[in-house]
Amino acid sequence: MESNSYQDGQVLESEEQAVPASEAESEPNAVQAEKPSFKVRVNELMKRIKYSNFGRNFRKNWTYLLFLIPAVVVTFIFAYIPMYGLLIAFQDFVPGDNILNGAWIGFDNFTEFFENYVFWDLMGNTFLLCILGFIIGFPLPILVAVMLHTTKNKKITKFLQTVFNGPHFISLVVLVGMLYLFFGRYGLVNNIIESAGGERYMFFLEKGAFRPMYILSSNWQDFGWSSIIYIAALSGVEQSQHEAAQIDGASRVQRILHVDIPAIMPIISVMLIMSIGGLMGVGYEKVLLLQTDGNIGVSEIIATYVYKQGIQNARAGYATAVGLFNSVINLVLLIIANTASKRFSENSLF
Amino acid sequence: MKKLCVAIALGCAAIMALAGCGAKDNRTSHSVDDLKKNYDFQWTDTSKPILNKDGAKDITFTVFSSKNASALEYGAMDIMDTLFEDTNVNVLWKQVSESVYGEQKTLTLGNHTGIDAIYHAGLSSNEITTYGVKRHNLLAIDEYLDYMPTFKSILEKREDIKKQITSTDGHIYALPRVEEMGLLQNPNLLFLNKAWTEAAIDGGVNIGITKDAVKNGLELNADQMEKLLTYFKNNDMNGNGKKNDERPLNFVWGNWQGNQCDLFGMFGINDNTEHRIIKDGQVTYTVLDDAYKDACNYINGWLENGLIEEESLDISQDTFLSKGKSNPDELYGAFYWWESKTVVTDESHYICCKPLKGPQEAYGGKYKNCQTVCVSNNPEISTGELVFFKGAPNIEVLLAYFDRYYLPEISAQINYGPIGIAFEEEKENGMLVPKDPPAGKTADELRLQNAPLGICYLTAEQWGKTVQMEERAQVRLDRLKLYATPYYDHDKIKPIPNLQFSQEELSTLSRYQTATDNYLRENVLKWIRKGVSDSDWTTHKNKAVTAAVGIKEVTAVYQAAYNRYLGK
Amino acid sequence: MENDPVLENEVPSAPAPATKRKKVKETRGDRAYYIITYIILGLLALIVLYPLWFVIIASFSSADAVLAGRVYLWPVEIDFSGYAKCFERSDIWIGYANTIWYTLAYTVLSVGFTLAAAWALSRKTLPFRKFFMIFFTITMFFGGGLIPFYNVVSDLGMLNTPWAIILPGTVSAWNLFMAKTFFQTGVPDTIVEAAELDGANRARLFVSIIVPISAPIIAVLTLYYAIGQWNSYFNAMIFLTDSNLYPLQLVLKEILTSAESTVGGSGETMLEQFRLANQLKYVTVIVSSLPVFCLYPFVQKYFAQGVLVGSLKD
Repeated sequence: MESNSYQDGQVLESEEQAVPASEAESEPNAVQAEKPSFKVRVNELMKRIKYSNFGRNFRKNWTYLLFLIPAVVVTFIFAYIPMYGLLIAFQDFVPGDNILNGAWIGFDNFTEFFENYVFWDLMGNTFLLCILGFIIGFPLPILVAVMLHTTKNKKITKFLQTVFNGPHFISLVVLVGMLYLFFGRYGLVNNIIESAGGERYMFFLEKGAFRPMYILSSNWQDFGWSSIIYIAALSGVEQSQHEAAQIDGASRVQRILHVDIPAIMPIISVMLIMSIGGLMGVGYEKVLLLQTDGNIGVSEIIATYVYKQGIQNARAGYATAVGLFNSVINLVLLIIANTASKRFSENSLF
Repeated sequence: MKKLCVAIALGCAAIMALAGCGAKDNRTSHSVDDLKKNYDFQWTDTSKPILNKDGAKDITFTVFSSKNASALEYGAMDIMDTLFEDTNVNVLWKQVSESVYGEQKTLTLGNHTGIDAIYHAGLSSNEITTYGVKRHNLLAIDEYLDYMPTFKSILEKREDIKKQITSTDGHIYALPRVEEMGLLQNPNLLFLNKAWTEAAIDGGVNIGITKDAVKNGLELNADQMEKLLTYFKNNDMNGNGKKNDERPLNFVWGNWQGNQCDLFGMFGINDNTEHRIIKDGQVTYTVLDDAYKDACNYINGWLENGLIEEESLDISQDTFLSKGKSNPDELYGAFYWWESKTVVTDESHYICCKPLKGPQEAYGGKYKNCQTVCVSNNPEISTGELVFFKGAPNIEVLLAYFDRYYLPEISAQINYGPIGIAFEEEKENGMLVPKDPPAGKTADELRLQNAPLGICYLTAEQWGKTVQMEERAQVRLDRLKLYATPYYDHDKIKPIPNLQFSQEELSTLSRYQTATDNYLRENVLKWIRKGVSDSDWTTHKNKAVTAAVGIKEVTAVYQAAYNRYLGK
Repeated sequence: MENDPVLENEVPSAPAPATKRKKVKETRGDRAYYIITYIILGLLALIVLYPLWFVIIASFSSADAVLAGRVYLWPVEIDFSGYAKCFERSDIWIGYANTIWYTLAYTVLSVGFTLAAAWALSRKTLPFRKFFMIFFTITMFFGGGLIPFYNVVSDLGMLNTPWAIILPGTVSAWNLFMAKTFFQTGVPDTIVEAAELDGANRARLFVSIIVPISAPIIAVLTLYYAIGQWNSYFNAMIFLTDSNLYPLQLVLKEILTSAESTVGGSGETMLEQFRLANQLKYVTVIVSSLPVFCLYPFVQKYFAQGVLVGSLKD
């Protein structure tokens, strides 16, 4: 127990490396069996599988596969089967067409998007909005969870936790409606600015105000909700470790840095990797509601553009192509994040 | 691993094959001769049934439609009962609410097994081209016009309607809704606070008019207006002790009505929210006119001096109305809107003005006689209201049935609600007169509940003959006749009608139009807020015609489509 | 111990370790930390509470007063017509009933499927582990779009049935990986091995040992899945045409849409409509979320039970 009291997290994380390397290699080996008669080949194959690491492991642990069945079936049916719909990215598709036998146009949808004059503006706007949102939005729930965890009065903690979840339940129209009310020319915020001697500011017409307003309001809405997972993780930190640290004279902040954070590091890493993988996945609804003539230079992003093209111009193929492009970027980001995380912290998604 | 992949692929293929074949259509199709023989099918006499009683039993149609949440199921509406009794055509309505229609439309167009038509289809001309011209999923209605005597005669009478609904391949794929009240072309009227103006004159503002002249139809030029607005701004006009809560001039930026566009009329520009108009037969962008630069700078001056309420630039329609209505003190000195009753508590406090004249001395007096209004591109004909699917059985019967919707009396009831509920029939001339709603109900609720709306044909010739116009519409129409329509040359300046684009033109538009729109949205607002220098203006004029903005390309497409519309 | 006695008194049920902690002296640095923490949390609470309060008062203030910016701290011109409009319709109760049952069924299935799969994925001895990780990861990025999804559900005969709402989204890769990480860090292999030596089979091990010690992650999953379902309406929008099956959110959307639509009429009616629509926006938030919001504290207490994992380890 003492041996890992400080670095408990790391001991557990490193298990990734312990995954038997055999599973990936055993199959290709088996397939490349030599020429002899079919029966011999099959017997040979069975034997090799049976006595390989993989085979032994499989015989011992195949029952774990049963636990996966419901999730795999549901995912296969509702996520994988419809994926043939991605084919329309390569088609001049109109609803009503047979997707498997559509009007194939190769990469035309993609090239049209890349060659569009607005392409780089869209990419830049999307990327900036997402990356800034991520920089603020990722650490905030963790900080809040740690703060809530360390307060001494548990009643206050419980009350605050409940309150912080409130914004999650506010619908988008109401959120945006309130933004217009509070940040409008004669809204609460401008009244405060004026009484403090400032000049009323047109939050919705100034380019510079769009990103902060979008990002901060999104975070306002979700920091409490996202912190739930960290709060749950922190509740698993062993008291004995804290006691040991206290006896060693560690301060509260030191205990956070050396006990709490390491203990929840695996979940932080996984959330980080997944968030980076979803970085470019910002939706169009809220952006569109906040879009004005004044900020359109920064508020036109890939999602709003696709919405305008796909819905208003009835171009499902084109919209899918752009969406697919976006997904590929996200996937690449996830792989980079996962690899980096594996290398530097020994935590990874897979 | 490989095996698993193969298995997955096979599974995919199997299920996709399954997905390919939908339910079978098991309705029987009859030839027109059979229909005539067995069911007495007739379409020429619109006062007689289309089928006999057997037809009502044996032949049914399924029409998919969106429906307002307050409306009754169409099958339960009086007007639909009447139509069924008159025609013996049995239409089953498959209805979804408006809030889910957007997605359901795509799905229905994707798979329309068992569905004959979409009512309230709301298809854009883009969608009609895609589903009709490109994929031939929609029925070419023009080939069946003989079964639609009423509609056919409308098209013969109204070449312009025919042009607007005919696709580039010469076919008609959708039936239109026509409701011509003449209210949409000039969306703005200028209202001025009477008491404040009188107070300003009393207060020594010299605008060369007496208090007696402050009444409906007042004509002011930019300089006079500027003086008035300045006085409004600097004084406690509503007498509530606060000097800075008066809002001199108000509008809602970029709104479909009550917008900023009439201000450009002071400089002789017929602007609209798209900045696109027909001038001497040419599709023109107003923002390329040098007068636009002067207008922007002049309006910017008003804005910077607080004569235009800055909130007008990002206020929503609802907030605009609330601020006008709810405050105990009047806030608006002047405003642009559709009408005044909904905006302010007491409409008698406001007068309706003629369009503003240009500045008299500034710019060398260049604009001193300019006085014109916004000409919007809001059409009174919606083109994609009802579409039929190709291959639907016995379609001739269904077309003959919907043809009845264009009869004046039916149109009125489709649009406003049935006789007995929404209308009373006047005894002597048979005109439909709006009926007062029962206590506890508003006219709106009654209409939403009992009228399906949708395809109809109500034009100038019907108002006052078959149907009496609503009072509110009449008031506005009278004002427009005095203060808007006379102020532009109707031969020279025309709104852009519904245009039909070819597939190539559509792809050009989708390539450039977002860029063009965004460029204009961003820059016009910037010019108004910050002004525009000569060098900025030169840059703009050079940039606007490059492919990165695409004004040239978009203009060319519109011009070609407009030329087709003119029959050139 | 320099702990504020008032604060301590308010925690009568504080767990045993709290009493042990008293032996350690609180340093000045610690005090600074607590003060800063309370200040930040207090500010956050203000920023969060005010808009929440505003939603409540706006839901029964006159819409004109709200839009004109005359509502700050207390309701102005109290007007319950939004609530009246909402509750005069009988379908709102059907909506509640539907939503409750969809949410219950969906949450049970989702949490069950996700826990089981996450448990398996968290075991490094699971055969084809990497393959399954990739299998689930891909669904985070690629989807087939509306039409194929609709076709699949339609081919399964689930159109216009509650199954179309309950089944399709039962496993979210995001939640799955979260749970997997929890199991990886929280349940050491020693437990598993020890149990296997005792001859317990894996199903029994999972049900009788793993699930009971996983209260925090189960609580998190329940919360995330249940609220996700409670607030959703998209699947209902495309798969349900029978309005008797509509969930609450769709019924509310319907009420809002019908309030927003006008067809001319007199100016006064139009105004009435738009006032109603503006008030209804706030009312719908209250009507749909107040019930679930009140349930949160009951789920919350399970977060604190995570300590069990540690105690089992010894």
